[in-house]
Amino acid sequence: MNEPVIQFEHVTKKYGEATIIPDLSFAVARGDFVTIIGSSGCGKTTTLKMINALIAPTAGDIFVQGKNIRDVDHIMLRRNIGYAIQGSVLFPHMTVEQNIAYVPNLWNKNDRKRTEAAIDKWMAIVGLDPAMKDRFPAELSGGQQQRVGIARALAASPEILLMDEPFGAVDEITRSSLQDEIARIHRETGITVLFVTHDIKEALKLGTKVMIMDHGEIQQYDTPDEVLAHPANSFVGRFFRNERHICTMPDDKIGECAYNRVHA
Amino acid sequence: MITSTFKLLAARRDFFLGLLVEHLEISFAAIAIAIVFGGLVGILIAEYQKSAKPTLGVINFLYTIPSISMLGFLIPFSGVGNTTAVIALTIYALLPMVRAVHTGLTNVDPAIIEAAKGMGSTKRQVLFKVKLPLAMPVILSGIRNMITMTIALAGIASFIGAGGLGVAIYRGITTNNAAMTLAGSLLTAVLALVADLLLGLLEKQLQKRSVKARKRTKGVLIAVAAVVIGAIVFAAIPQKQNATIHIATKPMTEQYILGEMLDILIEQDTDLNVKLTQGVGGGTSNIEPAMESGKFDLYPEYTGTGWNMVLKNKSVYSEDQFKTLQKAYNKKGLTWIGMYGFNNTYGLVVRKPIADQYNIKTYSDLRDHAQDLTFGAEYDFFERKDGYDALCKAYNMRFGKTMDMDIGLKYKALSENQIDVMVVFTTDGQLADANAVVLKDDKNFFPSYRCGNVVRTEVLNAHPELKKVFKKLTGKISDADMVKMNNEVDVKKKEPRDVARAFLKEKGLLK
Repeated sequence: MNEPVIQFEHVTKKYGEATIIPDLSFAVARGDFVTIIGSSGCGKTTTLKMINALIAPTAGDIFVQGKNIRDVDHIMLRRNIGYAIQGSVLFPHMTVEQNIAYVPNLWNKNDRKRTEAAIDKWMAIVGLDPAMKDRFPAELSGGQQQRVGIARALAASPEILLMDEPFGAVDEITRSSLQDEIARIHRETGITVLFVTHDIKEALKLGTKVMIMDHGEIQQYDTPDEVLAHPANSFVGRFFRNERHICTMPDDKIGECAYNRVHA
Repeated sequence: MITSTFKLLAARRDFFLGLLVEHLEISFAAIAIAIVFGGLVGILIAEYQKSAKPTLGVINFLYTIPSISMLGFLIPFSGVGNTTAVIALTIYALLPMVRAVHTGLTNVDPAIIEAAKGMGSTKRQVLFKVKLPLAMPVILSGIRNMITMTIALAGIASFIGAGGLGVAIYRGITTNNAAMTLAGSLLTAVLALVADLLLGLLEKQLQKRSVKARKRTKGVLIAVAAVVIGAIVFAAIPQKQNATIHIATKPMTEQYILGEMLDILIEQDTDLNVKLTQGVGGGTSNIEPAMESGKFDLYPEYTGTGWNMVLKNKSVYSEDQFKTLQKAYNKKGLTWIGMYGFNNTYGLVVRKPIADQYNIKTYSDLRDHAQDLTFGAEYDFFERKDGYDALCKAYNMRFGKTMDMDIGLKYKALSENQIDVMVVFTTDGQLADANAVVLKDDKNFFPSYRCGNVVRTEVLNAHPELKKVFKKLTGKISDADMVKMNNEVDVKKKEPRDVARAFLKEKGLLK
């Protein structure tokens, strides 16, 4: 197995007396699509923000691409990690083009040709009409805004993409098509994705691995099939009960049940 | 009233236009400094929140200082004139500017800031690419308020000898010329409103978020910047020529007239230029320090005022002490020269029928009839140590009845026979129309306030040709002349310059 892209070693995060994350260790392999799921306040967003150093851990070490992030320049670290957050939060004073060009422009303002090529490429990949370049975020639909948000996160061709409930604010149909897009982008680019969600279906649909968190601890971290077939504990079992029962087989025969999502 | 205001505006277009330009220069200088400096402070306290509270506290405190006292505090440091005015206006403009920038920056959606940060922006990039553009609407509306306020407030600049439309307002007040006051106020208001209107349009334009509108906005912004920079450069270029005499006058009608006379004669008889700053607020207390610092070269002053206020003598001044006065002034590098002849002191007048009936000519004559007469004066004359009681004691007299009344109502009371004797200033313009006789202070009870010029000795030595001008004016203006000229300005609403010119012509001093 190749070297993990992201590695947590005994990471602790406390806010004063309150311990959000007691002791967290895990690794993400190159090309993984890890969905992180758990109830509100379980520490999933904190975990994500520690990767791009928006939040500093109280103790422990985090390695990104083999380097301890304590030892690297955080600005450079962040520019190499795509970041899309809830509702994608576009810059309202910039056009679609300017939004997508934001990170490339942070890098290098003068290489306009390369930036323009990147904009065209990513707009095409996320399925945005090039005519929208000059529009402002307020002139876009919710789904279009999410697409711009994804394009913006990917425009500098990062090797890691962090997403924090990016599709939280769109309707069911749009969300489904956005999920298909991100899955396709992942397949085509081989990018490593960490994706925080509270939507169980979304976590199972997108993740090559699912990380279930509760009270700052990993309850289970495995492939979706494995998580559904062999819940590590009662918490995980309860969490996925509805998904497990989709096959409508009785509980004692659940082992024989073929999970419809796997074969769908 | 309105008609006379517009007539005045039309008749003295150049005068008002000059004031308007000056008003804009002073305001824009303050506005530009406040935008740059206040903007920086606003950014700093928004970035370093801990410093926000104390900083805003200090600026709030400065803002609460009444403008008149602010100017008073500043005069010892920066003297009188435009610099002090710009400093004061800048201080007042800071609060709205700092507030607007701070509020604008701290109210940007934190999620947007986190997105920018999470994508690898440096602190500076977050500020300039995200925070400032998003805070711009709040900042702009703050700037708009600040500009309107500064233009309106710039009216007080004339109080300390700076230019601008306040000059018209202040001159109108001190020469009892309501049309002049109204014209100045009207122009100030119009200027503030026009500025507000233009800024409103600019604000609207800036909020348009389309590529086309942005291109147009860029054009507008460049034009505005060009105008502002042009105005600043224009204001910054010192329009000083080497041989310029700076004349100051106090905010009194007769001083305006004297200022105009000096201006006319110096420009006529010498090669010197004259810069005349009329009606410096606070009078002696602000002009005198400015003379010592060289900001002004010359101003008309009264001997008694110099003796008590400038030299801080406690004793009553009389003209046989003139040599002592001159010596003390010489030590300050100043010289008294060109005594005009009139004496603007307190005096007693009696209604003419009574004076004729009893043949009263002097204060001593008055003593014998005092018990039958009613004495009127403003309130403070009865309170002063050198006022009513001292007067009665000096002449050993007692009036049958006394009335205290407002200074503006005294003459009316006299004409309606409510009072028989009253205290006046001996050059008061209203005296010309009063049916009254000025009595002789035969025991020299009241201090002498002869009017002359105080000049910087250095200037006098450098330009001896000035001495000829002063010689021409020496002893030329009697009390009655000054009363008549004050009357023409105060009552007949003539322009001080016209009155000055007519008098000089009458005396054969004009070429």
